[in-house]
Amino acid sequence: MCETCGCQTQGSSDGKVVEVNRKLLEANNLTAQENRKHFDKMGVVAINLISSPGAGKTTLLEKTAELADGQLDFAVIEGDIETQRDAERIRAKGIPAVQITTGGACHLDARLVHKGIHLLEGEMNKHGADVIFIENVGNLVCPAAFDLGEHKRVVMVSVPEGSDKPSKYPTAFMRADLFIITKIDLLPYFDFSVDEAISSAKAINPNLDTITLSAVSGEGMDEWLSFLQGLVETR
Amino acid sequence: MHELSLVQELLGQVMAVAKEHNAKRVTRVSVEIGPFAGVVLDSFDFAFEALKGESVLLEGASLHIETPPAIYRCTHCGATTQESVEGFEESPLSARDFFQRGRCPKCNKGELYPVGGDEILLKQIELE
Repeated sequence: MCETCGCQTQGSSDGKVVEVNRKLLEANNLTAQENRKHFDKMGVVAINLISSPGAGKTTLLEKTAELADGQLDFAVIEGDIETQRDAERIRAKGIPAVQITTGGACHLDARLVHKGIHLLEGEMNKHGADVIFIENVGNLVCPAAFDLGEHKRVVMVSVPEGSDKPSKYPTAFMRADLFIITKIDLLPYFDFSVDEAISSAKAINPNLDTITLSAVSGEGMDEWLSFLQGLVETR
Repeated sequence: MHELSLVQELLGQVMAVAKEHNAKRVTRVSVEIGPFAGVVLDSFDFAFEALKGESVLLEGASLHIETPPAIYRCTHCGATTQESVEGFEESPLSARDFFQRGRCPKCNKGELYPVGGDEILLKQIELE
């Protein structure tokens, strides 16, 4: 093999070395680019929500539906390993939603989301939307590696999980645009330091925006809604 | 556990290259996995060993994983730091130590944050 220029050189008579230098997720990334174009054509802002199971992704969307009524139209692509439960919860709020079940896979990939977009277009039945949320499979590790074609990536950690999560799961924070700390109504009952969580997340990604909120008490929800309005106005 | 999906992508790409070159078998596969790619190397290796047997073309292949060093940049001076840091030869400190201490070894003012390092690349394949 030629170490200097990386050219394709015959090794031995019956063996050869092929330099490939290709991203492993190239196929995923190409589909993600197609998804992004598709979202642009629909005129929507696509947001990828990443968190561990139970951090409150679906509850945040339910509360967003209640508060944004009339000011912001959105639709949801739900990713889970099994069941239609989350999509049903969102539909119960009058929001178009489709469920993608991965059948065991611990993350969504761009191909699954592509399928989700087409299903959602049927569900929306010509109704427009300002925002499409892609609620990823609950997992703070694997979803981070897969570009889905989103415009913004939001990573969430809830108070009961502990403020050390950004330090322990740095990859999820590296490519995120916004970090939300959820369930802040539980702060009096848990040993959770908001300062530690935010400073360790910013140590990984200094450009990260942060919001602290509770979908139950409503505290911080106005900040979340203005963040969304800001994205829609500048789309 | 997304290592399994990653290895499936990898083997798909390796098979495509091997077929392009009319290879009888693949003997070695080299990949580069960034320090912040979120990949467990043991799981990746395990998935490779588990899946390669599904194809005659791949069953004799060995996996070689390269891991480039972590690179950090300072929020204050913008300088990058990697591997061991000069001036600390007596008790060498790695860039990661400075990241964890939240201090840039060059200007001592800003904090370090990781840059890149989340790529996973298929580098090279050896064929017969």
